[in-house]
Amino acid sequence: MILLRLISLPYVRKHLLRSVLTTAGIVLGVALLVGMQTANRSVLRAFNDTVERIAGKAQLQVTAGDAGFSEEVLERVQSLREIRAAAPVIEAEADPGLPGQGKLLILAVDMTGDRSLRDYDFDNGDQDVIDDPLIFLAQPDSLILTREFAGRNHIAIGGKVAFDTMQGRKQFTVRGILKAGGMAQAFGGNLGIMDIYAAQNVFGRGRHFDRIDIGLQEGVSLEQGQTALSTLLGPGFTIEPPSGRGRQFESLLGVYSLAMTVSSMFALFIGMFIIYNSFAIAVTQRRSEIGILRALGATRGQIRTLFLGESAVAGLIGSAAGVALGLVFARTLTGLSATMLESMFGVAQNVGEVVVDPGFLLFAMAMGTGTSIVAALIPARNAARIEPIQALQKGRYQVLGAGENRMRRNLALLAAALAVVCLPLGAYRPLFFAGFLLTLVAGLLLTPFLSLELAKLLRRPMKWLRPVEGALAADSLIQAPRRTSATVAALMLSLALVVGQGGVARASLQSVDEWITTTLNPDMFISTTENIASHGARFPAGMQQELESVPGVAEIQPVRMPRLQFHGFPVMLVSTELAKMGRRVKRHMISGDEESMNRLASQEKGVILSENLAALVKLRLGDTVELATPAGMLRLPVVGTIRDLSNQMGTIFLERSAYVRYFQDDTVDVFRVYLKPGASPEEVRGQIVGRLGRQRRMFVMLNRDVRAYVAKVMDQWFGLTYIQVIVAMLVAILGIVNTLTVSISDRRRELGVLRAVGGLRSQIRGTVWMEAAAIGIIGLVLGIATGAIMLYYELQAIQHDISGMPFAYEFPWGIVAMLVPVILFAALGAAILPAESAVRGSLVEALEYE
Amino acid sequence: MNNAIWLCAALAWPVLAQDARQIVEESQRRGKANSQRYEGVLEVTGADSKVTRKSWQSRRLGAYGNSKAVIHFTAPAEVKGVALLVVNHPDRSSDQWMWTPAIGRDRRIALQDRSTRFFGTDFSFEDLEERDVDQYEYRLTGEEAIELAPCWRIEARPKQSKTSQYTLSRMWIRKDNYVPAQYENFVKDQPVRRLQQRDIQNVQGIWTARTLEITDLRRKSRTVLRLEKLEYNIPLKEDDFTVQALRRDQ
Repeated sequence: MILLRLISLPYVRKHLLRSVLTTAGIVLGVALLVGMQTANRSVLRAFNDTVERIAGKAQLQVTAGDAGFSEEVLERVQSLREIRAAAPVIEAEADPGLPGQGKLLILAVDMTGDRSLRDYDFDNGDQDVIDDPLIFLAQPDSLILTREFAGRNHIAIGGKVAFDTMQGRKQFTVRGILKAGGMAQAFGGNLGIMDIYAAQNVFGRGRHFDRIDIGLQEGVSLEQGQTALSTLLGPGFTIEPPSGRGRQFESLLGVYSLAMTVSSMFALFIGMFIIYNSFAIAVTQRRSEIGILRALGATRGQIRTLFLGESAVAGLIGSAAGVALGLVFARTLTGLSATMLESMFGVAQNVGEVVVDPGFLLFAMAMGTGTSIVAALIPARNAARIEPIQALQKGRYQVLGAGENRMRRNLALLAAALAVVCLPLGAYRPLFFAGFLLTLVAGLLLTPFLSLELAKLLRRPMKWLRPVEGALAADSLIQAPRRTSATVAALMLSLALVVGQGGVARASLQSVDEWITTTLNPDMFISTTENIASHGARFPAGMQQELESVPGVAEIQPVRMPRLQFHGFPVMLVSTELAKMGRRVKRHMISGDEESMNRLASQEKGVILSENLAALVKLRLGDTVELATPAGMLRLPVVGTIRDLSNQMGTIFLERSAYVRYFQDDTVDVFRVYLKPGASPEEVRGQIVGRLGRQRRMFVMLNRDVRAYVAKVMDQWFGLTYIQVIVAMLVAILGIVNTLTVSISDRRRELGVLRAVGGLRSQIRGTVWMEAAAIGIIGLVLGIATGAIMLYYELQAIQHDISGMPFAYEFPWGIVAMLVPVILFAALGAAILPAESAVRGSLVEALEYE
Repeated sequence: MNNAIWLCAALAWPVLAQDARQIVEESQRRGKANSQRYEGVLEVTGADSKVTRKSWQSRRLGAYGNSKAVIHFTAPAEVKGVALLVVNHPDRSSDQWMWTPAIGRDRRIALQDRSTRFFGTDFSFEDLEERDVDQYEYRLTGEEAIELAPCWRIEARPKQSKTSQYTLSRMWIRKDNYVPAQYENFVKDQPVRRLQQRDIQNVQGIWTARTLEITDLRRKSRTVLRLEKLEYNIPLKEDDFTVQALRRDQ
């Protein structure tokens, strides 16, 4: 502690800028970790909170995936003696079109019995209205709002709220206002309650419910209730406590959460290199100080503890600042995440506030501080090893010892060799990931050597470009590789991440483009929402005939695509008229014969699996798929596997007639519309909207609109890449500023001499700039190379471990083309302040240095 | 001496129990009609003294455990056409369906929902059921005057086969005309609803309370139902008391 106060504090004061920059590495890492994770957790918490609040006193919930089930299930459930209360529920989102208010989550219930499960705490004054369910039930336009939503929009009892329904845009009358708190806080307060039978019409549910909430008789345990319900209803129904929905949502967001976690952990990992660099530099700069301390009797342990103590303090301060900054990031990221999740999965979220988990913040603090300490381990060890006599020998320490270099190279070669050995054994996944890790280790071990070699290679062109400045800059890098290598390593890792992520984006986009071209080929799509992924409302089956009668329409393909759990994955079940689709869509076959696949599947003699699902659940041609449906188990063989990107976790294609029979659901999510030759899509759209638009909520999208929508979703998903580009840029700036500051400090006398013998300020400035550019170039070369390898591993992991999608390896030249100027610009920008400090320093002081 | 009193009381108990059931049976026999029709006027006074009014038309075919009843709301305008069908059974709880014309849907009122309030009144759905005498165990607990009329005080507990929100019902049956003057319904020994039957008149030979006042003792609100245009033993068709008839009548 005394050493920290007497030795470390003055050093920090003297090198305040660099200390701040060192800490900035941790700040950035922790901020991203906290920001991304908090945003992710906030979205999940908001969902769970909504589920919990809406569930009320329900102990169990009966669901059958997104498909819902027939009304008659309710009476069967109510007949069980274990059941105290069984309340049917429909949940859907509605857009009231109020500026800045977002969507309303409509909870549709049967008010005659729902109060046995949910507390409806109404405001005073409307007791006579809402406490009288008769008017509420008798009038299908009845709506209850929360006080928060009503207050925000100045809506009172009797006020009107309009939203699109399956019967066109309709006005609803507010007949009750829920008091704040409890259920009223669900969905960020944007909650509306209506009668379930009215909602069946409003949202096109036919005579179906989405789920039944269950209260058990006193003395009946959850297990007993679950067993009784499972026995009664069969395997097609899921019977889980309300928290089960939260778990399903989490599994739906699995890939997204994984991407967020990897990115944030990577940011922290990169921060570690910045700390390492700073401490490595600090050790070299403070050699004489260490020597004196050692000469005065300080033990090696005390020196090591001094540096580790410094890193712990820096880590603690950086982590605290990072947590604060991360919470600011989280506010922005939470909104972005919620928007993206809605576009991708159709799960609307109203994340009212960022959820701060003190436990996680402590974890982030510990991670930041721990990372800082780990990063300082090697510099601290090196500091402890310094002999007092060695401390007087300036300059020697910067050169990599031949032995050290050889050892690193040998270790790197060993790691690389092991990584290559792991490649053919990748089927055993731990070995695949070990190979990935070994590749990274090899790359990091080789960084100093490669940096040195690249600096040597760069010397000639730099000298050719600017004889004096170029040579001086290159020599600076060659003479002090350790000063540069950690910065290069940090830059390399962050750029590798960007290249890897960008590569995945490019590969996905190419596959998506191919899929869109072959599969999404109807002239137009008719959906109940502008977001094709959202299936809150559905069309009645009868609408198909109405559409077929529209002039210009050649063929209509009704599609219902609920999500359901299959082998533990949230897959999409696409039910349509497969013969029709087979005639219109040329499939990218993975296994099976397309003609027989379409024939058998359309005759209900088999199902078609997407390639990714087949890979994930290890099902092959001829294997039996077992689907638990409300009408019992549906067992059909796999008659073909195809490339399909409708769903990240895979798709099962089932003939519509079989779906209708087994799931007792004939509603439609999307109509695929093919036009007669020569028919104008715009004109037909106008006709459809004119004929049906007033009766129903519908969005008629032309093929190009859907393509644009898919492209938008992909952009949102890969928006993460842009965040990473920003991080890479910040890493570049931080690392380069740090390195150059030290470089200039180390070379004050050299630069002073240069100026004394007639060197121009512009030449010195140019030297610093060229050094920065060289660091940027070395980082770019190594980062792009590492990224190219990383991309291979990422694509393999996506195919075998995450979503089963086999993307072709495509190097992201576009991202690289963007990175080169960005990083060089960042490097030059980072050099401005150090360069100015180099030219503005006092010549006398510089010459007196040492 | 004390032992003698207890002995007398014990010997008298079966007689009293028998009497209680007989009294209830007699009360039901005297009130029995093949059918009934009336126009009801409801006045609900909330705990905040706010008053709301509704009216309905009621038809009933049969009596007690074998009856069917349809209630059609006639006012206010927002609820006009809403109907409730109650089919009583001698050996179990009734089946009930509600019809809402605006959405053209009928819905079954689940057994577990019978304890909830009947559309904002202080009656529960269960209170609309007609009680079969065999579904309860009776005990005569004494005599007491209600509004100066001497009454028997009888306790009724539902048998195990009967699903009821009430664990105990206490009733006061007038000695002069066997019309129940008052009911008190208990949940776990706490009184929750009190029904007072007033304005007793002889209609077509049947002594009938024309004013029913039910008080929700927990909410402190009360509902008064006045029976107007009351008729007994009118010709009604069985077919009119089905869910299909509810749909057809709209």
